[in-house]
Amino acid sequence: MSAISELSTVHRVKAKTPEEKRLRAKEAARDNKAGYLFLLPWLIGLVLIVAGPLIASLYLSFTNYNLLQAPQWIGLENYARMLDDPRLLQSLKVTFIYVIVGVPLQLIVALAIAMLLNEGMKGLAFYRSVFYLPSMLGASVAIALIWRQMFESDGLVNQVLRLFGIPATTSWIADPKYALWTIILLHIWTFGSPMVIFLAGLRQIPGMYYEAASVDGASHWAQFRKITLPLLSPIIFFNLVLQIINAFQAFTQAFVVSNGTGGPSDSTLFYTLYLYQRGFGQFQMGYAAAMAWLLVVIIAAFTAINFFFSKYWVFYGD
Amino acid sequence: MAINRRQFLIGAGGLAAAASTIGLSACAPGAPSGSGGGASGGGTNLALAWWGNPTRNKNTEAEIQAFQQANPNITLAGQPGDFAGYWDKLATQTAGGQAPDIIQMDMAYIAEYGNRGALLDLEKDGADTSKFIEGTVDSGRINGQLVGVNAGINSAVIVANPKIFEKAKMDLPDDKTWTWDQLSDVAAEVASKAGVPFGLVYLFGGDPMFGAYLRQNGKELFTEKDVGFEPADAQAWFDLMMKFQKAGGIGTPQQISEEGSPGGGKGIDQSAIVLGKAALQYQNSNQLEALNAASGESLKLLRAPSLAGKATERKAWYKASMLWSASAKTKNPEAAVAWINWFANTKEAVDIDKAERGIPPNAELQEYIRPKLSPAQQEVAKFIVDIKPELASTPIAPPPGGGKLAEIMFRYESDVLFGKASTAEAAQKFVDEVKSNLQV
Repeated sequence: MSAISELSTVHRVKAKTPEEKRLRAKEAARDNKAGYLFLLPWLIGLVLIVAGPLIASLYLSFTNYNLLQAPQWIGLENYARMLDDPRLLQSLKVTFIYVIVGVPLQLIVALAIAMLLNEGMKGLAFYRSVFYLPSMLGASVAIALIWRQMFESDGLVNQVLRLFGIPATTSWIADPKYALWTIILLHIWTFGSPMVIFLAGLRQIPGMYYEAASVDGASHWAQFRKITLPLLSPIIFFNLVLQIINAFQAFTQAFVVSNGTGGPSDSTLFYTLYLYQRGFGQFQMGYAAAMAWLLVVIIAAFTAINFFFSKYWVFYGD
Repeated sequence: MAINRRQFLIGAGGLAAAASTIGLSACAPGAPSGSGGGASGGGTNLALAWWGNPTRNKNTEAEIQAFQQANPNITLAGQPGDFAGYWDKLATQTAGGQAPDIIQMDMAYIAEYGNRGALLDLEKDGADTSKFIEGTVDSGRINGQLVGVNAGINSAVIVANPKIFEKAKMDLPDDKTWTWDQLSDVAAEVASKAGVPFGLVYLFGGDPMFGAYLRQNGKELFTEKDVGFEPADAQAWFDLMMKFQKAGGIGTPQQISEEGSPGGGKGIDQSAIVLGKAALQYQNSNQLEALNAASGESLKLLRAPSLAGKATERKAWYKASMLWSASAKTKNPEAAVAWINWFANTKEAVDIDKAERGIPPNAELQEYIRPKLSPAQQEVAKFIVDIKPELASTPIAPPPGGGKLAEIMFRYESDVLFGKASTAEAAQKFVDEVKSNLQV
């Protein structure tokens, strides 16, 4: 407990004599010790839960490891084999479409709903919760199961279409042309968490800018483009980076909707799903580990590109 | 450019998210064996894993009770599951050194585990198969070691719903003389006359039917270390499928895709024949009881067709519907084998299981249980005896890496059905992919 009281003591006066300096150094060392102590739980978690598996995975990526026998070192062979794997290419294609189409659409919807909620309507807290709900449920197995049933040939979607006289019999999840789009739709529907962040960002834009703009006769569209977008750009950037990172790792939806196959015809073979199939279905954990590291490189590259271009459009106002 | 706090936070978030990806595939090898086996109070606790259906789950729980009464020193903790998720779980458990002591095993995966030293040599610890009928023991042998004991005899069949044939005003086909082409005709006719989406379902998604077709053509699914057929054989099979499809017997590509492959996620209680959407369905014979229970119908068993139109030339075989294996790491091999022997050779066990896991391979028990079986199971038992003259050699277990053949086949069939590949392209890729899995 003394460590806490020690931490809260603020030393502003400069030490003058060597004696005082030594005392001050001793106190600082004690403060540091306390700091490390508080850091410890997180540090242990990092080392055991993140760093340990991280290093193990890097090692496994250079081995032939079938889960049942000890791994054998094979150098870069797993990485070389990836160059000649048509399903890997397919899984990259599926995942890129999902990220490049799904993330911007989701952010647009999130921003639109956030602006609507920012109008200061009655019962805002209620609506905010309702709109946020899907993003808490969206990655769950239950929702994915419901999604599958909704988009089956006799599912809810077709039943509603039939109510309007459209003779819909398409099985949206069973046709390679549509299956991925049902999952992208599910992704868009889970716009809650970027929406909440947008809402917080919108609240920080001072109302006087809009007032001044209205006085000058700026239209709503002009206000949106000239005030909202620039002032919100750091938030948009934040959401974009995080959502891209998340979307690259999408797994549950594809796994449940396709029964773990990535089908029909590999049309929903997400990268992580293929990684899982290789590792746990085909006993090729070394290859799966190598795939995981390729994904790290891809995500890092996307993030770097994002940061590079951010200086052309993100406005920090400082 | 100096990094401000906001950018730092984003970067840190990104790193954390990226790290979680790596965690997905990182599984430390060689963790110590944990589950079961530990002696407690002089007794032994063993974990027992199986996949199944509601009937089998109930049976197995009752069997565990009966076994524990007969062996008060052993307690069994059941781990039921469904087929689709069972193998992922078993792989993960085994990798973590937490494999269940007693494992219900499938022919598709027995070499995978057996060849890699994950399964116990059961004979060494006293597994008794002395009363098993011919051709039912060796399917559990990998590299000369008995790593799986047949838990029931099975045969790949086509199940028919007589009510739908009645509705179509058609007789059930003569399964002793029908050819693959005649099956196609029957399926198309019954589908259009009875107005059901599927004349026939699942036939092309399951590897046993492909295996039957190959054997009639003098090939096999697998040889000792390799694929047992050429791309041309696979192409002939895909061409046959397209012929069936064009004739109107197996539904549209979307319907086939939605129905999936057998064991691909839909339980059999949700399969097309149960829901009244199909007249014929590929299945294993032991599933007749469960299908009848789920559908409320009295379904009939039909033989797989032959090229020659003679059932005696259809190269049938007895398949182990499932096997009992034990983990090589179990701390109490004798207790694990005690369960296997109890299940295979005692009247108490077969009184409960009857023929749900297939017809007992133990000849004496086969005789003993027949009068006690339900009408559906009696039909299965009769079928298994009837097809004896039609049997050819028993196919070998798929080599390691071969367990996914059916899944791969169904994927390339979908490519063909949706016009994404010709049958020739798909066949070549199919064979290449199965081969590449075997090499690893």
